[in-house]
Amino acid sequence: MQTLREFTRKTKRGNILKIVREHYLRDDISCGSDLCQYCFQNEVYELTSGHDIKSSLFKFPHYIVLDTNVVLDQIDVLEEDVLHNVIVLTTVLNEVKHKSSSIYKRLNELIHDRTRNFYVFVNEHHKDTYADREPDETANDRNDRAIRLATKWYDSHLQASQDPKVFQRSGRSVTRVVLLTDDAGNRAKAEAENILVASAAEYVKSLEDFPLLVDKLSLKTFENEKQALPQFPPHLSMKALLEGLRLKKLLQGSFHASRENYLEGSVSVEGYETGILIQGRDSLNRAVEGDLVAVELLPESEWSAPSEIVLEEKNVYADDVPSEERAEEENEMLQQVQTAPVAERTPTGRIVGIVRRKWRQYCGILQPSLIEDTTRHIFVPADRKIPRIRIETRQASKLQNQRIIVTIDSWPRNSRYPHGHFVRSLGPLGNMATENEVILLEHDVPHCKFSEEVLGFLPKMPWSITEEDYAKRVDLRDLYICSVDPPGCTDIDDALHCRELPNGNLEVGVHIADVSHFIRPGNAMDKEAAARGTTVYLVGKRIDMVPELLSSNLCSLVGGVERFAFSCVWEVDREANILDKRFHKSVIKSKRAMTYEEAQALIDDPTQTGEIAKSLRHLNRLAKILKKRRMDNGALVLASPEIRFQVDSETHEPLEVEAKQMRDTNSMVEEFMLLANITVAQHIADEFTECAVLRRHPKPPSTNFDPLVKAARYQGFEVVTDSGLELAHSLDKCVKADNPYFNTMIRILTTRCMMQAVYFISGSLQKEEFFHYGLAADIYTHFTSPIRRYSDIMVHRLLAASIGADSTYAQLLERKSNEELCNNLNYRHKMAQYAGRASVALNTHMFFRGKEEDEEGYVLFVRKNALQVLIPKYGLEGTLYLKGDKDGKDGAERSKSEIIFTFNEEDHTQRCGSVIFHSFDPVTVRLSLDSTNVQHEKLVFRLVKPFIKGFSVETSSEAVEGIAAQPPAKKSKKDKKKK
Amino acid sequence: MAYIALSEAEKTFILHGVEEDFRCDGRSRRDYRPMELETGLVSNASGSARLRLANTDILVGVKTEIDVPNPLTPEFGKLEFFVDCSANATPEFEGRGGSDLAQELILSLQNAYESPFAFDYRTLCLIPGQQCWKLYIDILILECGGNLHDAVSLAAKAALFNTKLPRVTATLMDAGITDLIISDNPYDCTRIGIDAVPLLVTVCKIGDFCLVDPSAEEEVCSTVSMVVSVSMRNNEAYLAGTHLTGGGSMHRDTMLSSIQLGVSIGEQLNSLLVKMLKAEQERVGPKRPKTVGFLK
Repeated sequence: MQTLREFTRKTKRGNILKIVREHYLRDDISCGSDLCQYCFQNEVYELTSGHDIKSSLFKFPHYIVLDTNVVLDQIDVLEEDVLHNVIVLTTVLNEVKHKSSSIYKRLNELIHDRTRNFYVFVNEHHKDTYADREPDETANDRNDRAIRLATKWYDSHLQASQDPKVFQRSGRSVTRVVLLTDDAGNRAKAEAENILVASAAEYVKSLEDFPLLVDKLSLKTFENEKQALPQFPPHLSMKALLEGLRLKKLLQGSFHASRENYLEGSVSVEGYETGILIQGRDSLNRAVEGDLVAVELLPESEWSAPSEIVLEEKNVYADDVPSEERAEEENEMLQQVQTAPVAERTPTGRIVGIVRRKWRQYCGILQPSLIEDTTRHIFVPADRKIPRIRIETRQASKLQNQRIIVTIDSWPRNSRYPHGHFVRSLGPLGNMATENEVILLEHDVPHCKFSEEVLGFLPKMPWSITEEDYAKRVDLRDLYICSVDPPGCTDIDDALHCRELPNGNLEVGVHIADVSHFIRPGNAMDKEAAARGTTVYLVGKRIDMVPELLSSNLCSLVGGVERFAFSCVWEVDREANILDKRFHKSVIKSKRAMTYEEAQALIDDPTQTGEIAKSLRHLNRLAKILKKRRMDNGALVLASPEIRFQVDSETHEPLEVEAKQMRDTNSMVEEFMLLANITVAQHIADEFTECAVLRRHPKPPSTNFDPLVKAARYQGFEVVTDSGLELAHSLDKCVKADNPYFNTMIRILTTRCMMQAVYFISGSLQKEEFFHYGLAADIYTHFTSPIRRYSDIMVHRLLAASIGADSTYAQLLERKSNEELCNNLNYRHKMAQYAGRASVALNTHMFFRGKEEDEEGYVLFVRKNALQVLIPKYGLEGTLYLKGDKDGKDGAERSKSEIIFTFNEEDHTQRCGSVIFHSFDPVTVRLSLDSTNVQHEKLVFRLVKPFIKGFSVETSSEAVEGIAAQPPAKKSKKDKKKK
Repeated sequence: MAYIALSEAEKTFILHGVEEDFRCDGRSRRDYRPMELETGLVSNASGSARLRLANTDILVGVKTEIDVPNPLTPEFGKLEFFVDCSANATPEFEGRGGSDLAQELILSLQNAYESPFAFDYRTLCLIPGQQCWKLYIDILILECGGNLHDAVSLAAKAALFNTKLPRVTATLMDAGITDLIISDNPYDCTRIGIDAVPLLVTVCKIGDFCLVDPSAEEEVCSTVSMVVSVSMRNNEAYLAGTHLTGGGSMHRDTMLSSIQLGVSIGEQLNSLLVKMLKAEQERVGPKRPKTVGFLK
């Protein structure tokens, strides 16, 4: 049988077409139930009688048909392993697909889970359940009718199969079909048609065995909601928004909340360089980080400047009405801003509507409630840019010290906070595994196990090199190749060699793990690696980009084993001038895998005269020449505080902190990697002018350097930022005899002025824009770490194609897809970096748990109400609040005691009495972990020196007590460290 | 044109029949052969009709498109005819064989529809000077059994009656540019008024007499025919155009009587057609007809 579906569509060119699709109706679609005696069953996943759900509402076995709105809103409930025997209609599936691709994906996963008994019934193609659209019926009504039609068909179909007599004898009651819908109209019609129907909430509440499932119900409106007054201006209707955007009265952009001030944010809009500033609760108007919003620009007279205040929300409770205190504070902030000098004012606007929500799931903690046994709670997200979320849960006490995931359902006008519901718990607070999970989730790092499909593309073990492989590759097994890496490194992707040639020149080879040999383009493993983009390193944990068999074994250039490599070999003279270069795939056998320390020892020990030692010495010497040459070209030496944690192997808790040490060998390896990258970059850019994957580092706009120049000028140094070379030179000159850390700090500041280096496709930019500013190289790419970066795999493939070592394929040379890939890589790299930093911060917190230390530090920035302090020893940066800090009471007391800091905007200083704080001033601060707030543990910085009475902490006695209070074991450890 | 070989005796027989007002198939000179009409049968088209007049078989499909109005007539929509002489009809149409006939049919239809009184082009206008509907009236000749002009015009009118234009609302945008929004309900559509849409009546002169609806054999006997296009306005028949086909010429008196015959026949034909179309519409209702009939 066949019918037709007709619809009209407007083409891009504005033409209106009538489109007719043939729609086939079948009579052989099975119902999927094991009760059925009529249908031909060939489905594997079927509705079985083995799973009865006990519901007080329907006290007989039943199957469930879901309405689209139930799937969309209650996917979290569905994901719980509670509901079985669920019929998913294709009508619903299509609607879900149309409305939310992420929920569609989740639903699909449920459907494919055999244990869940979700059966997809193709009602749209079943001859008895197809509903043709009636005149004057909206598409929605038709879908509702189709759902009811299918439910009714199912019910009668099953009843026909279940002979009442047989069932009476067996004592089983007849299985019925229940429709779950949250649409009142659909429900009323279903009731009129004698369909068993219930709302999702009613049904979930009626489940006898799973009382806690109620928590996962998405609540668009909370029950017993006090009809509070609207606290926000209304959003414009979608129609009005689109109209406004079309007429350019409104601007559209994505909203970014400020990390430091919860009453501030900005909307990045095309044409506005710094974005449009949004200030105040009413102007923010319920926008959440990432949302696509419509902004109305305020008249220029009402523009304001971003406040430099660090403001955090506090004392929030579920039943709270806005307290006067808070309103006051908010007003204060706004007033302060309104007096901002005209020069600092930037375009300011207010949000009038949300074009698209970008809500996702958020990690965080439940805030303890003041009232016992309440079901309403406030959820505090880990990301400070996300507002607190109101949720309802009956298991608050259980979740109290857990990291949980919550999702936002709605944000009505009369609620201060968005409404959401509990999704799942990650684990206990402070547990390393839980915290790592949080970091990975928050940074969107794909970290699930590799799927079977991906693992299926791994080479079969035991793996060995075949004759064919030898024939294709250059045999370098005899060379004295060695690798130098940090201790504990298992994914070794580079190895080096250097030997003297008969003509007196040197041959230097960089051998990179040949990952592209194992990961073939387009297969599942390749797609997975491309999606992951990079390996993510957390403290004590590594999230691999490629499965471990490759990353730590087959690809890794471990010592004494034959491995495939992609070699880049130069002939250089004694002065490190490159005379010749060649690329080829090879088989190598690394003679030794060393750590930086071991390599250094080998170089320094004159008694060592082995081939490896000789070659390392050559390399080291050449590297120094190369480095000097690079510096003379204007490459920058930048600094960022880097530290290493010694992690307890069992508890995974940090034991020791040390700043990373730089040895000659580090720089040696780095130098040759840079050389290899640049050489390869030149080669592939020449070979593939349109589609080479390169990396560039744009020169920052000069305004970026303003804070650096200002800070340096105050210290009596002139930093010239016109070119990389001048900047490098002037940075070298910033040395203070009395402050050895000064130069590092200046470099840290310089690092912050820099732009992000990004991957790009050669065809997308002009040649002049290929420049890598930090390295002062005309062209650059990433070639040397294919195990942990996908970009390198792409470069390998390009290089292999150019030298004929591997075949090329269509996508390799396609600019558009490569560009998309680059964008993903850039995003993943950024997120991986952030995740790494977050992991370091987390471990720092763990390290300071229960400790209190006085440390030397330096003022890095002076802000309006705080000092940004850097502790070189731990590479730690924190905020020292001077007034009105996050702890409200403290601030109040302080202002009473009349310790007033005056902020001078001219030279960015804070003054209190005779003490003045400048940037780079040394200070002593006391570090402790503020665990009073279980939600967000936080390192607290308190001033010790210079001493300001009433503000600084008293030194001697208190500190001693503090230390004495510690268990002796820890104390001794700390003592050791202080030496 | 498909020619049928007739002997002199046959021709004389037909001629005598006409003179007697008793034609070969028993009709009088003012009679049409039986017709069979079906509308809405091509689901891909916006409107369609199939007309079978004895052995003449015509299929018409109407396709719609958005276009820009002619700057000289900013308030008018557009209409375009296309006639395809299928080689199924007669082997002579194979290749470009039917193109002359097709061209002639197109021209006579264009002539008839040219006057804004005959077809109200304003109903096809969406935004004056900016956007309008353009209707493509595609006519397929499936079988030739004589009197193509009449059959084609009847089928075209029926197809136009059947045509459903999706309801479009215009919204004003920046700089006076308008954007069209189509209704998402496929049943929400506008129709085209066909009251004035002209019909062609071929008046065929055989011997000294004029007759209508000549069969293929009669056409061979005719020296000259006049195609009269008749448009209805305020329940009165108006002449929308005439032209002569065939090799011969016509006397002034014959011409006058031919026109009078054509107009009166056209008026009858039109009222019958409209009646039948309305009856069919009522029978089918707003929903899509069950998929039965020709082409199924």
